[in-house]
Amino acid sequence: MARNKFDIDENLETPFNIKHFRRALVYIKKQQKPMIIAFILSALSAGIALSAPLIIQHVVDVTIPEKDKSGLIFWSVMTLLTIVASVILATIRSRIMTRVGQDIIFDIRTDLFKHLQELPFQYYDDRPQGKILIRVVNYVNSVSDVLSNGIINFILEILNLLFIAIFMFAVDAKLSLVILAGLPVFMCVILLIKTRQRRAWQNVSNKSSNLNAYTQESISGIRVTQIFTREKHNEGLFTRLSTNYRNAWMRTMYLNFLIPFSVDNLASIVTTAIYFVGLLALGPEEVTFGVILAMSSYAARFWQPILNISNLYNSFINAVAYLERIFETLDEPVTVSDVPKAKELPPIKGHVAFNDVTFAYDPGHNILENLSFNVKAGESVALVGPTGAGKTTVVNLISRFYNITGGEITIDGHDIAQVKLKSLRSQMGIMLQDSFIFSGTIMDNIRYGRLDATEEEIIAAAKTVCADDFIREFEHGYMTEVNERGSKLSQGQRQLISFARTLLADPRILILDEATSSIDAKTERLLQKGLNELLKGRTSFIIAHRLSTVKNCDKIMYVADKGIAEAGSHDELMAQRGRYYKLYSAQKMEAL
Amino acid sequence: MFQFKWLWHNLKGDRARYIIALCLSVIGSSLTIINPYIGQRIVDTFIAGSDAAQNLRDERGLLIALGLGMIGFSLLRTGLSYFTTLLYERASQNMLYRVRIFLYNKIQGQDMKYYDRNRTGDLMTKMTGDLDMVRHSLAWIIKTIIESLTVFVAAVVYFFFIDAELTLWLLILSPPIFIVAFIFARRVRPMYVDLRERLSQLNTITQENIAGNRVVKAFAREEFEINKFTDKSVNYSEANKKAALVWLDYFPYLEIFSQGFTVILLISGGLLVMDGRITFGEFSAFSALIWGLSNPMRSIGIIINDIQRFFASVTKIMEVYYASPEIANHHNAAVKRRYQGRIQFDNVTFKYDGVTVLENINFKIEPGETIAIMGATGSGKTTLINLIPRFYDAAKGRVLVDGTDVRKLELDELRGNIGVATQDVLLFSDTIDGNIAYGNPDMPEEDVVKFARLAAAHNFIEKMPEGYNTIVGERGVGLSGGQKQRIALARALAVQPPILILDDTTSAVDLETEEHIQKSLRELDFACTKIIIAQRVSTTAEADRIIILENGRIIEEGTHAELLAKRGYYYEVFKLQNEGIGREVNAHGEK
Repeated sequence: MARNKFDIDENLETPFNIKHFRRALVYIKKQQKPMIIAFILSALSAGIALSAPLIIQHVVDVTIPEKDKSGLIFWSVMTLLTIVASVILATIRSRIMTRVGQDIIFDIRTDLFKHLQELPFQYYDDRPQGKILIRVVNYVNSVSDVLSNGIINFILEILNLLFIAIFMFAVDAKLSLVILAGLPVFMCVILLIKTRQRRAWQNVSNKSSNLNAYTQESISGIRVTQIFTREKHNEGLFTRLSTNYRNAWMRTMYLNFLIPFSVDNLASIVTTAIYFVGLLALGPEEVTFGVILAMSSYAARFWQPILNISNLYNSFINAVAYLERIFETLDEPVTVSDVPKAKELPPIKGHVAFNDVTFAYDPGHNILENLSFNVKAGESVALVGPTGAGKTTVVNLISRFYNITGGEITIDGHDIAQVKLKSLRSQMGIMLQDSFIFSGTIMDNIRYGRLDATEEEIIAAAKTVCADDFIREFEHGYMTEVNERGSKLSQGQRQLISFARTLLADPRILILDEATSSIDAKTERLLQKGLNELLKGRTSFIIAHRLSTVKNCDKIMYVADKGIAEAGSHDELMAQRGRYYKLYSAQKMEAL
Repeated sequence: MFQFKWLWHNLKGDRARYIIALCLSVIGSSLTIINPYIGQRIVDTFIAGSDAAQNLRDERGLLIALGLGMIGFSLLRTGLSYFTTLLYERASQNMLYRVRIFLYNKIQGQDMKYYDRNRTGDLMTKMTGDLDMVRHSLAWIIKTIIESLTVFVAAVVYFFFIDAELTLWLLILSPPIFIVAFIFARRVRPMYVDLRERLSQLNTITQENIAGNRVVKAFAREEFEINKFTDKSVNYSEANKKAALVWLDYFPYLEIFSQGFTVILLISGGLLVMDGRITFGEFSAFSALIWGLSNPMRSIGIIINDIQRFFASVTKIMEVYYASPEIANHHNAAVKRRYQGRIQFDNVTFKYDGVTVLENINFKIEPGETIAIMGATGSGKTTLINLIPRFYDAAKGRVLVDGTDVRKLELDELRGNIGVATQDVLLFSDTIDGNIAYGNPDMPEEDVVKFARLAAAHNFIEKMPEGYNTIVGERGVGLSGGQKQRIALARALAVQPPILILDDTTSAVDLETEEHIQKSLRELDFACTKIIIAQRVSTTAEADRIIILENGRIIEEGTHAELLAKRGYYYEVFKLQNEGIGREVNAHGEK
């Protein structure tokens, strides 16, 4: 069962740590070269930009007093050239970094999506879809700038700071200490708010995730909402989630802006202190006016990179709240995966065996216990029994959607846990209870079963399942656009399309899980005809409640009490006068 | 400028706050000029000036005052800026909050046609990325425009007082900056529209992959999905780069022009000083504040860039904001009456996308009757019942409930009188208790249990680890088809509606359970008209009347016995379901 719903914050298994940081570095490392080039370009650009004030200084001190008009024009052109040069270098850097930033998040996004494809059903069953979606799209987008430009700027600012510090100390050590005295204060401010800030941003990520989950669910459940006229009540829930988000956001803002606030004030306090210490405490005997002048300008210059760094720090701490969620998803264990040295499963003949299989979704709650059965190649098997007895579970285990807790499942003698998943599943055709339709044309939806199928093959498959007629009635026929929720298709039509999809895959083992429950009896009869052809020579498992559907199967298994209560052909089971007999007779009675 | 008017409209309730923030921005930006001025005073008076030593001896008080004044002004300015920024954040968050809820309600109020056309991923993009862009416009774009403008105007005014001619020379650079910015804006705009569309596609692909993850796994289509996703992801990434690179095409011009103020000042100012037109001090004043011209100009590009993004997003949001559904629920039913449950279809024809789905449907259902509807896949059964709660409106004819055309009834009242268990069971990621009580969230637990019992769901719910408090996944993942259907049935029963519609609700339920459910339905303790869509004769047999649909028309109507006697569609289905499909196929084949 699910563990999370829209209004429950997700607990973070492991908060951001040095390991995460290293993982982030892996993505950055891939872009090492362009980043180094960009870094050099930035340094050059900044260096060149520094020469402009020097030129201006020269013009003011020398050229203008000397009334050297040609000199003035010369130096002005020089200034212009330095500006042009530094801007061009900066532009090239930005061009490189645009690519780098996009490539980094592209890599993260791809890895995240790939990993999600490997995660078991359980992962998806456990949480609202909106919470997964927001990680892949929004969260990843949010970290782009920090991981690219953020890092370069951080290094640049640190270097900048170091250079200024060196110059500063070269001019006057005592006054430099005055400037540095602001730093411990600044550190205290950071230390004081850091933990709160982290928590606040985590809270924002949680609340936006909740809001996203609820929005998504409201959209997909809209029909139910409207019929139950729950709009007002939902508005209340949504308002609550929005309020939580707004409060969380404001909290981060209260904390975030404290940082530039303190840096700005420290900078001006330090500058004033330079004047006071230099002019009043030390006096002209100890420091010259020139030194004071220089130091006061250094004070401003020293604190500028600190302000920039603290702004970077703010965006970093924000990004961390998203990064840790991304890495958490990447760390989600893949419970069903290929074992090392997994073999390809050779073309399936169709002999399926369960040997003492035990299975539980949650440890301690066994759904199946010591289940054993044998199905020969080409046999058709029907699974019947009360709802919730585990019929779907049995067929899910054949495709290894879950790992069994005990025992062994073999196909043609190969333990399915030892073969490559893809080689197993691509030979199985499974028609699920929930017939999902992707947005796209009907053609594409059927083609999902076999990507290289020709149009003729697709139409042939549709004809087999009696879907051709209704598809052709649409104005655009097979090219009709359909989507996940739309009402263009009825439930029965959806089932037929997903049936065609399964048949197209030409599976060696066919699994039909209530595949025809929404299809009317007449269509089903026609369908059955085509299906009988198809089932020939293939092993098939059919779950159905209409006993008329299952009666003709080679073998019927009555699933109940964590195992198979009865098994045999229809006639055998009828002769046994057991539970199947009771079920069948009830249905007969009911119908008559 | 309609977009800004729209913003202003949605700022209602925070307009005063926002205007105060704007005013404080103006004051705060002006203050940025003061600290350098004090610093300059200290330097001039006590360090660089000719009588500096003299002043330092005699006017220590002034020095201390200036120093403290500098700290004081800094505190004032930063405190003001902290306060102002929070005002902006608060106002923009409040606006975001209001628009978000408004949009949410809009989306909730859209009719089915809207949902047939719009992808979930696109609506999600609107509710996340686009909305954030709107917030950004208030919290950052407008703020930056005002602050840049203030500094620019203050600097220009200040400069004019010092020397008009030099100021005019400097302003020579403004027109080209504006022209470049204008050209840039025109070029980049479609790119942001495109970028936004690609984000929406990325959202859609990802959302469908998550929603359809079972199908993906069943067909081992992971690689295909990854390719599909990568394709969209590359598209989005490329669009991002493209837009950024266009910005970088114009950035050098804007940046060089902005920094060019210094060069112009150097040349023209220098020449004016040499000619003795202005003093050296005046020249220094200009160079001390030249950033007041160049910085705002530098921001123009970024502002334009963000405004274009804002436009792209806000256009999408307005689509929802101003969308008016054909079938709108105004939620203004003051008193909700309880209907008797009489239903009549009066010559109803319904078309969808130009295709006739229902044609000339006529029938009447008296209060308390049970009507079964049967028919081939796609014959229009679900469409027919969708017309009763007005998910769609009939193209011709009328649907009447208690003698009144449904289009004249209050939607809230109408829908409140109808309980539907839909075919495609949609559960919410909530507890089972919450799902059953969906129609009445305040329902006491005993009632929830009671309705679960009626729907034959109590037994399996009780066996779950956390019983009624078990959280079921979205769409009820983790539950079997039959279990989901029974929860949906309990949910519909729980509103005790006078009209109950069951759309193939027991198709995945085993027979014993179905029997139990039918018994409950017969013995409901409230008056109720029932419409049951079913494929099984076992379900329809006991109905007061059975309607058979074919291609959108009623072809048979009557009781079980009458229809059997008719030897038509119903009879055939009956035969099929009793004699077993296999034999029938054989018989068919031998004919």
